[in-house]
Amino acid sequence: MGAQPPPLFFREIIMNDLFIELRDITKRFPGVVANDAVNLAVRTGEIHAIVGENGAGKSTLMRILYGLYQPDQGDIAVKGQTAVIDSPRRALELGIGMVHQHFMLIPVFTVAENVILGSEPASGLGRLRMREARQRVADLCRQYGFILDPGAEVGALSVGEQQRVEIIKVLYRGAELLILDEPTAVLVPQEVEELFHNLRRLKEQGKTIIFISHKLDEVLEISDQITVLRHGRVVGTVPAARTTKAQLAEMMVGRPVLLELQRPSVTPGQVRLEARRLRVPGSGKRLAVREVSLAVRAGEVYGVAGVEGNGQTELVEALVGLRPIAGGQLLIDGRDVTHATARAIRLLGVAHIPEDRHRRGIALPMAVWENLILGHHTRDEFTHGALLDRPGIQGFVRRRVGDYDIRVADTNAPVLALSGGNQKKVVVAREFSFNPQVLVAAQPTRGLDIGATEFVMRQLLAARSSGMAVLLISANLEEVLSLSDRIGVIYGGEMVAEFARAEATPAELGLYMTGTKRKDEVRAG
Amino acid sequence: MKGRLLLLQVATPVLAIFFGMLIASVMILAIGRNPIDVYAVMVRFSLTRTDSLFSILFKTTPLIFAGLAVAMSFRASLFNIGVEGQYYIGAFCAALVGFGLRGLPAVVHLPLALLAAAGGGMVWALVPIALKLRRGAHEVITTIMMNYIASALLLYLINDVFRDPTQIGTPRVRTPVVAPAARVPSMGPLLAPLGLHGSDVEKLNLLLPLGIAVAVVLAYFLSRTRFGYEVRAVAFNPLAAEAAGIPNARVQFGMFMLSAGIAGLVGLNDILGFFGYLDIDFPKGLGFLGISVALLAKNNPLGVIPAALLFGFLDRGAAGVQFFARVPKEIIVILQAIIILAIVVAYELLTRYVRTQRKREAELVVTATPAAETAGS
Repeated sequence: MGAQPPPLFFREIIMNDLFIELRDITKRFPGVVANDAVNLAVRTGEIHAIVGENGAGKSTLMRILYGLYQPDQGDIAVKGQTAVIDSPRRALELGIGMVHQHFMLIPVFTVAENVILGSEPASGLGRLRMREARQRVADLCRQYGFILDPGAEVGALSVGEQQRVEIIKVLYRGAELLILDEPTAVLVPQEVEELFHNLRRLKEQGKTIIFISHKLDEVLEISDQITVLRHGRVVGTVPAARTTKAQLAEMMVGRPVLLELQRPSVTPGQVRLEARRLRVPGSGKRLAVREVSLAVRAGEVYGVAGVEGNGQTELVEALVGLRPIAGGQLLIDGRDVTHATARAIRLLGVAHIPEDRHRRGIALPMAVWENLILGHHTRDEFTHGALLDRPGIQGFVRRRVGDYDIRVADTNAPVLALSGGNQKKVVVAREFSFNPQVLVAAQPTRGLDIGATEFVMRQLLAARSSGMAVLLISANLEEVLSLSDRIGVIYGGEMVAEFARAEATPAELGLYMTGTKRKDEVRAG
Repeated sequence: MKGRLLLLQVATPVLAIFFGMLIASVMILAIGRNPIDVYAVMVRFSLTRTDSLFSILFKTTPLIFAGLAVAMSFRASLFNIGVEGQYYIGAFCAALVGFGLRGLPAVVHLPLALLAAAGGGMVWALVPIALKLRRGAHEVITTIMMNYIASALLLYLINDVFRDPTQIGTPRVRTPVVAPAARVPSMGPLLAPLGLHGSDVEKLNLLLPLGIAVAVVLAYFLSRTRFGYEVRAVAFNPLAAEAAGIPNARVQFGMFMLSAGIAGLVGLNDILGFFGYLDIDFPKGLGFLGISVALLAKNNPLGVIPAALLFGFLDRGAAGVQFFARVPKEIIVILQAIIILAIVVAYELLTRYVRTQRKREAELVVTATPAAETAGS
């Protein structure tokens, strides 16, 4: 392999096959120890997964490795040599490259132009050698089996293809070790397969890969070694072949986790929420939602699967009265609310878990108690004429905090002091108050760790059991499949398919989500 | 923690003022004076003489209204830079009602004049807020434009339309005198039994207690009412407020009108409380000072009172140092400006500090609870 033979000794340890070794890395931030004496050894030519809940310290560790942070203590050895990585540039010189979760590409540039950006091949006079660049990109694609046209404009590529551009970009700069930060979060199943195929090919050619994820099935499928982090510490490193999903989950959370959800059978009741040929404008004049029809019954979870940006946000906003409807009809319990205000729809018993809690869900500087009554604050329980009834509110807040296990010492503290999971709990606790009849839940588990995800999913099923009509919009296919009674697939603002729970498979849904396939006739209800 | 936070919140502006004085000292040194002497003169002149104390209170009165007006708009994430223009119009409306109507009893005439002032301010704010809520035109731009219009309009009205006919031929350009029933009663008679006399004592009028009362009512209104809660939600996250069914535009409109209504009262201290007529040279710039007052008070209605007092003190002190220490009063204007800058920085630092403290506390709670759980299970 390409690695130079390392010196025979390093602190009495022979490490002839370690690409990188982190020793006792500690990184503190005000109030938090993000990494606490972390030890990590990654062998050359392996795929090493790092898993852990949000806030476990994965990102901090990778940022240290990529030269974005400096550790407070501990040291790093690259190929047996102690190294100080003080910038991403230095990391790249050492052969460490990072593929970011959010792509950093220029849409109007071609693949080749994006790849060479920042290290353009040029003649002595500064003339750009575009032909040479294109050739080198094509060579890289061939070498690693990437299907990519160097002359294609990046804006026209699919998400999976854009990710390949990001990987090629890192390879072009000579990376031997690739750090992939949650690479599958944005991909549909077929694209995940393609990515894994590429990663295996890279591994065969001697590249080393660090794979960050919290999707345990994927981690088990692709990795050789798995390191689990919890609260900034390494819980352990295990070979993927000798562990199970349940064991990993327990290592991550620190207690046994129920991976299978109890899903009691519920007989669906009457239609609660119905959209008929709904048309909703996007940000411009263009329609973001075209002729979408769907009907959700009491005691049913209707899942909407789809790659993000296919009209889900606009659909949800239209359903809860936050976006004007250009055409079609919206009914709640048979009542026409097509042009009703958000307040009127809320008063009919529609609860809404917004996709981005910071945007629509909570007001960060406001107190926990204030956020818990947002939208309910006009109820008789909470008011004395024009005044707020503080004792009444306090009783309610205390019950909600207890029932939903919101970890907060003082409900007068601003909600920004809470962790992400607890902030989400505030939203869920609030939206489940006062017996809503319809729940519109958009990306309800986004950004949550295993423990909090489990909690939210259980709440959704409990809502279903109690006769609520639940519309679940999620980019997480696994979640849609495990919770929904019926599943609609949205693509390009249209419902391109609808499945009963038993008919749906990830592969089939994936074909519709990418627009590869579409059913001619989609019925609602 | 709670007590310490409160202490910090009080200490922050005090430290900022101290810092401002330190910087101003450099300038006083630069013009060849001893800063300690200058500050001593300022304090002695302003705080040891009865006339100075009452003069400070008189200057404080309009600043309380101006500070409250600006603070109310800031509370709703709106920047009412138009308090200046709104109080010109409010002052004119009050004067018009004051000299235009005759023979009304004071219990009717004075409230009518106050209402006219508030109404005038509100009317002047209608165009900017309508443009903001309907068309998204930024209120900073539109209110500044309205200030220019108000200023020109006022000159026209006083000089060409409502000029006191008895003054024609004199250099005085002013409206007729308002009816005694429309004048704000002086606090002199109330203070005389305490042995306080003099023209500065008599200048002080009932608008000062009114301003303090308005501040107290607003503090209660914002912290305890449903509307106050909605205002907070709209200010801190308008998108979340909208999702919760709060009518953002209506809340913002309400707060802007409240702001403009209070702004209309700013000029009355001089018009109805002292001169008794609207002169072309009536005090200007109070609306802009109100921005500083609101900033210093962190938009807290009760905080506006000490903030306005500070500016009243600085104003009086400026006259003192000019006369007794032979220091140009512009030094004090610079001092004001530095204090405002220092305060902005200090509050930002305080906010960051409090945020990290709260985060740290929350972390402690989170890490403490799982331990308790395992112990229990």
